[in-house]
Amino acid sequence: MEFAIISTLNGVTYGLLLFMVSAGLTLIFGMMGVLNFAHASFYMLGAYVAYAVSSIFGFWTGLLVAPIVVGLVGMAVERFLLPRVHAHGHAHELLLTFGLALIIEELIKLFFGDFPVNYQMPGELRFSAFHIFGTDYPFYRLFIGGIAVVMFSALWLLLTRTRTGIVVRAAERLPAMAEALGHNIPLVFMFVFGTGAALAGLAGAVAGAFYPTNPNMGLELGVIVFVVVVVGGLGSLKGSLVASLMIGLFSSFAVGLDWSLANLLGLFGLGDWARSVGGLLTLELSSVSATIPFALMLIILLVRPAGLMGERN
Amino acid sequence: MPNLRTLLILAVLLVLLIAVPPFLGLGWQNALVNVLIASLFALAFNLLIGQAGLLSFGHAAYFGVGAFAALHLMLAVEDGLPFPTPLLPLAGAAAGLLVGLVAGYFATMRSGVYFALVTLAIAELFHSLAPRLEGLFGGESGVSSMRMPWQGFTFGSMIEVYYLTLAWVVICGLGLWAYTRTPFGRLTLALRDNEQRVRFLGYNAHASKVIIFAVSAMFTGVAGALQAISNETANYSLFGSIVSSQVVLQTFVGGATVFFGPVIGATAFALFSFLVSDLTRSWLLYQGLIFVLIMLYAPSGIGGVVHHHIRNRRQLDWARLAGPYLMALAGGLLITGGVVFLVESASVLFGEEYARLRHAAEGGLPAFDLFGAEWSPVSVLTWIIPAALLLGGIAVLIRARREIDTLWARKDPSDDTLAETAPLGGEA
Repeated sequence: MEFAIISTLNGVTYGLLLFMVSAGLTLIFGMMGVLNFAHASFYMLGAYVAYAVSSIFGFWTGLLVAPIVVGLVGMAVERFLLPRVHAHGHAHELLLTFGLALIIEELIKLFFGDFPVNYQMPGELRFSAFHIFGTDYPFYRLFIGGIAVVMFSALWLLLTRTRTGIVVRAAERLPAMAEALGHNIPLVFMFVFGTGAALAGLAGAVAGAFYPTNPNMGLELGVIVFVVVVVGGLGSLKGSLVASLMIGLFSSFAVGLDWSLANLLGLFGLGDWARSVGGLLTLELSSVSATIPFALMLIILLVRPAGLMGERN
Repeated sequence: MPNLRTLLILAVLLVLLIAVPPFLGLGWQNALVNVLIASLFALAFNLLIGQAGLLSFGHAAYFGVGAFAALHLMLAVEDGLPFPTPLLPLAGAAAGLLVGLVAGYFATMRSGVYFALVTLAIAELFHSLAPRLEGLFGGESGVSSMRMPWQGFTFGSMIEVYYLTLAWVVICGLGLWAYTRTPFGRLTLALRDNEQRVRFLGYNAHASKVIIFAVSAMFTGVAGALQAISNETANYSLFGSIVSSQVVLQTFVGGATVFFGPVIGATAFALFSFLVSDLTRSWLLYQGLIFVLIMLYAPSGIGGVVHHHIRNRRQLDWARLAGPYLMALAGGLLITGGVVFLVESASVLFGEEYARLRHAAEGGLPAFDLFGAEWSPVSVLTWIIPAALLLGGIAVLIRARREIDTLWARKDPSDDTLAETAPLGGEA
């Protein structure tokens, strides 16, 4: 029971964090068809900008400045770099963002070194939210989840309840038609790209104070975020919320479970045979918890490439 | 077209590759082995992106599989299996082909971005599972073995390994080139340009793509096996995304549209990393910058630009172009100088050593050493130099480019009917 409740709480907060990063990625892909390899780098950039700013002006300023800076970087990328390669097709756009990801990672190593930096949450947030099963549950985990929920609600309201949201959704579905109706579509694209980047930057600024802030954080999260957007359906915001929670819960539960294929086969009396074969059959779930998401992504791509909630195949 | 001149150049290159290395030091021999392996890897990779139009982001999987297959065979040879050492890469080829057939069957069910994601997921599967499978991949420490002597060759010295690698790379390179001349090679190009039409003509597009994928994986496996033979060890990091991304970088910097383009990129990167990695810690940053600049300004890569010039060589007024080209070169050098200065001073100023110096100077900003001179970080002069280099370089480049464009526009237009057919091509 203790394991189940703690794992659920951790899984949901981690899932919400994943969602903050994947929301921007899936929004950008849905609108422009660009799979942005640099998106997780925006997340890392957010953490480092927040670290640099907060060491001088305090945590809250850092939290405010990081998404703005990262959003501006995103807009610059969309405005000045992507159009140059657009004529050569989506493959070149993807390769360009891939190169940018490399550059951002190396620049961060250049300025902040190869090792984790000491980016900490402020003292006023460092308390336990409640006492459960003899341990204190840190408030900051709930804070991360709360920020994600507020952000998602704001985004949802913006997209569904305002005129801007209608234009954005029109630009996503039929850009040429929306442009013919007199809307400035390039501007919309730039702002969507910037917003997506800013969300990733905000996620980095919030999460960097809790998880380690190091130059590998982008790469580590990046592959998981790809899994999330593919499983949820490229371009679907709702899908990526569901997939984020799924992956978050899975990864927090998997580390504590020692199930293996041999155990499963044991139910049919094949346990001893499986253990004698060894290899894949005796691997415990906890040790392959990093593998399962990729297997899931592979299955989704092959069986239903539109993902759980995507529309386009 | 394999005209006489191209053949002559290749022959001279081959003679140089055979004759020169015995006179080089061990470090250079080792670097050349790496160049050859990277070249074969990039050529095999380019079979997919350059010719079939499929962008794989997980070619590390087949490279690693080839390496581990060769190592397991080497271990068996150590235990007395009578298998000739020079034929070890066959194990890599077989493993690459097998895994490539399975992975390719699934990956080529999708195209475009989805294809890239499938290959990425497959490589990540290998990368995350390999450290857990002790028997196959030796856990976290990997598998190690020794090269066994065969027929008087001890394979103890680097030069013997070099010649073995050279032989395999030349044979495989010729094999890949011959592949492009076969009817199936033409079908590969057709699949890239218009898959629907290929299907309409009665070909089985999926089966063809599986074969292409498997062939690419097979030659990648050979490259992996050669690396295993040269290093005598491998671990799960061979499956990592760094290996996959390096080959993407090299191929596109070299030029995916020209057959030997990837070799240019692989050679440039492998040699540069050998020469520069001792001098700077920021080599990967320069690599990324070069890649992005190539993507932005010469999407067909170095090979593509050179090819474009060779094809138009008779229409161009070389005497008048020489001036602007030299100017462009000078501009490029100025910009390179400015960027290198900024990057290197940043790496000094934000490094640990300088932090200690600052601590010793009690909050002041002491001068730092760079390029054999001393620079003060608070002096204006220190920052005027790179700024002047950058601005000057950009101004010179813009001017040179304008002149080059006008001269190109004046060339004899009779050759324009042979316009680029490749979708990846096209440059200024």
